[in-house]
Amino acid sequence: MFQVLLINGLILGGVYALIALGYSLIYKASGLLNFAQGDFITFGAFMGYFFYDTLKLPFVVAMLLTFLVAFVLGMFLEKFVIRILLSKGVIAIYIVLATIAVSFIIQNAMQMLFGTTTLRFPPVFSKGTWKILGINAQSEAWFCLFVSLLLMVVLHFFVTKTKFGTAMRGAAMDAKAAESCGINTSLTTGVTWGISAAIAGLGGILIGPMYGVFTTIGANLGRKGFGGAVIGGYGNMYGAMIGGMLLGLVETFVAGYWMGTYKNMIAYIVLLLFLFVKPTGITNEKAIKDV
Amino acid sequence: MIETRNVTVRFGGLTAVNDVSIKLLPNKINSLIGPNGAGKTTFFNAISGVIEPDEGEIIFKGEHIEKKKGYQICAAGISRTYQIINLFWQMSVIENVMVGMTTKLKSNFWQSLFSTKFEKNEEKEAYEKAMEYLRFVGLEDYAHARSSSLSYGNQRLLEIVRAMASGAELLLLDEPAAGMNSTEKRELDVLLERILDRGITILLVEHDMKLVMNVSDYIFVMYHGALLAEGVPEEIQANPEVIEAYLGGDE
Amino acid sequence: MNSIKNKNIPKYLIYTVLILALPFLIQMISGTTYLVMILCISLLYMIAVTGLDLLFGYSGQISMGHAAFFTIGAYTTGLLNHYFDMPLWLTIPIGCILPTIIGTILAIPASKLKFHFLSLATIAFGEITYYFLYTSPGGFTFDFKGIGAKPISFLGQNYIKWYFFLLVITIIVFVFKTYLVNSKVGRNFIAIRENTHAADGMGINVRKYKVIAFTVSAFLTGLAGSIYVHFIQYISPESAQQKQSVLFLTMLLFGGTTSIPGTIIGVLFIEFLLELIRPLQEYQMLIYGIMLLVVVVALPGGIYGGFKDLAAKIRGRKKAGTDKTDGKANAG
Repeated sequence: MFQVLLINGLILGGVYALIALGYSLIYKASGLLNFAQGDFITFGAFMGYFFYDTLKLPFVVAMLLTFLVAFVLGMFLEKFVIRILLSKGVIAIYIVLATIAVSFIIQNAMQMLFGTTTLRFPPVFSKGTWKILGINAQSEAWFCLFVSLLLMVVLHFFVTKTKFGTAMRGAAMDAKAAESCGINTSLTTGVTWGISAAIAGLGGILIGPMYGVFTTIGANLGRKGFGGAVIGGYGNMYGAMIGGMLLGLVETFVAGYWMGTYKNMIAYIVLLLFLFVKPTGITNEKAIKDV
Repeated sequence: MIETRNVTVRFGGLTAVNDVSIKLLPNKINSLIGPNGAGKTTFFNAISGVIEPDEGEIIFKGEHIEKKKGYQICAAGISRTYQIINLFWQMSVIENVMVGMTTKLKSNFWQSLFSTKFEKNEEKEAYEKAMEYLRFVGLEDYAHARSSSLSYGNQRLLEIVRAMASGAELLLLDEPAAGMNSTEKRELDVLLERILDRGITILLVEHDMKLVMNVSDYIFVMYHGALLAEGVPEEIQANPEVIEAYLGGDE
Repeated sequence: MNSIKNKNIPKYLIYTVLILALPFLIQMISGTTYLVMILCISLLYMIAVTGLDLLFGYSGQISMGHAAFFTIGAYTTGLLNHYFDMPLWLTIPIGCILPTIIGTILAIPASKLKFHFLSLATIAFGEITYYFLYTSPGGFTFDFKGIGAKPISFLGQNYIKWYFFLLVITIIVFVFKTYLVNSKVGRNFIAIRENTHAADGMGINVRKYKVIAFTVSAFLTGLAGSIYVHFIQYISPESAQQKQSVLFLTMLLFGGTTSIPGTIIGVLFIEFLLELIRPLQEYQMLIYGIMLLVVVVALPGGIYGGFKDLAAKIRGRKKAGTDKTDGKANAG
């Protein structure tokens, strides 16, 4: 029982980590909350389904395409919605509401294109379950865990070792200073949103085989994923990874041993607790705007 | 009327205010000067309750206020203005002043909700009192204009009179002359004297040395968080350490 | 002075007649009482949105979980009615108390939070409420089935009678809201919204006032909910979800904050718009989203704010040298 919970917690945690990463990256880069993050997962799940089931492309190709399409959508959102609102001097809370609007639009768009019934994502691997370290779990679920962990590592290297990644960090820390160093902050901000959307999209195609594909699949995960970002210190990339994993583990274990019927509430209770008691999270990340 | 004893404020490894003990001259213009980064605004913040000093005491009219919160200190009789103008921008000029008077208004929530006679009267009197304050600085014609529409100099005046409206006995003015032209500064000089006529004590932070020397009755000099010197303007102007600090340090 | 009063009297007379005749007109024109029912729901939503306005428009605290208070009020009243068969003049007042208390309890830690964290906290609160109602301990809330409630006896299902009943209550709410916002309390709310730092410096106990704003806001929204359940005679957990909270927020922002006409316009417009698109159920979310986007992009002051600006511009051409707000009037 413990081992099953552990694995499920890690798998869920991996997904939460990708969501939380998106939140923290965007907050660091733009100072905003993005309520459409969860719906990028939904988008990814549907895109993945489209590429893998409808177009019958190989799964790896489907993953790549989903990643790219989501990336483009994220950049598009930043450039044509967020940027415009910022330039009009709209105050931050309204921009956050705009992301809610986008979330509704994405949900409905998916519904209009694919219908309201849950779509069955065809299996990816020939073997339904894998036994790793003595624990049995759905093969696609293991895969989801590996890919999310891999993504986090890749992201870490991208952000610390590549020139562009470093430019992104600089721009996030101090846009004016970065500009004066010749960094194109509008590009780095756009890429940040693109990456956040892309990793969420990838998360979507990964969980598709686990939960099926339906229009609200991402929204709930997205809301709960805020807890992961807050636990880790909102805005802190590594905190988001840890926070997300922790959230997945806590939710799974608490539901498994104690509050099964209230599983969905747990993430929100954790979120509230942290907000009220330790809003800076485990990494003591200070809020950007001292409103 | 107010003195600080060994007030120290630390931010992590940095000691912004180091063991500062001063005693203000009552009903006079006291000034606090020092190069940038000397800790003046932090010291102000400690007195006005924005931050709590790590060590030391602040005694105002016989009461310890170092642990009090901002709004409590305002109620106790200390008001301040800010380096960056902190008006309530969407409110009218007179509403800003009326907010300043809030500690003197006794209506509670229920009286406000039901608009009782007591509350209506109190509001009417508050409005008239606020107009008086506006007349004191010559802003009465702008009473209903949005505060954001005032000229910069007038905004500073409004901030001062809003701070006075709480009936403060000690006014902390954080760079009130910043951004003013020379005419406005001369008018400020006169205004400060008129404020003294009301029995108020002033503590001023300023960078305009000419203004400071003209206006001050007593000067405290801070440098790297510590009190470097204190005295009347002539003494300070002649003090070699002070001169060194200004020439050597950043401006 | 007298000439102004004389000009206004016919205007107010027209408004009054219109308001009193409205349900009859709608019934006549549309042939059914369905739209009158929508009008009644609009009145209830106006009360709820007024609560939200006090919280967000005046004291600057965002709540994306306000529908939870609406739903808690509805459930409290409904369950009291159901389990104890309490008369309605008891269930509704008690139904308001629970959301108010919960609002206060929530507000105490929440008043420490900066806006984006506050939005997350209110969302969490809303979702927790939803899940709690959906799978309540022992099923005392009847979970996903929702609960039914008896209508108010002397009103029954007569929507026209309901309209006047609700109209009276709404007007009372508006009157008290006006008293409150024109008082020291309202001023302090705005001061907190404008500049929390300076508000503290000017002697306002910011946390206390934030909690007061939250409490009053929860009360009003809870009141709307507890009457709602007797009107529609049904409530289910879905009403506590974020979607409904966002709807309230959209109505508030669309009409314009800190203004009663704004609240009226915002609620009526959105509510009737939703009715219009009812046949297009599948596009509902899309239209919600677009509406919200339009509000944010084009009308940060809300429709009423937009009208006011327009009216001021027109008036500005007639009277020179107005000293009212908006001008960049400078002096030496």
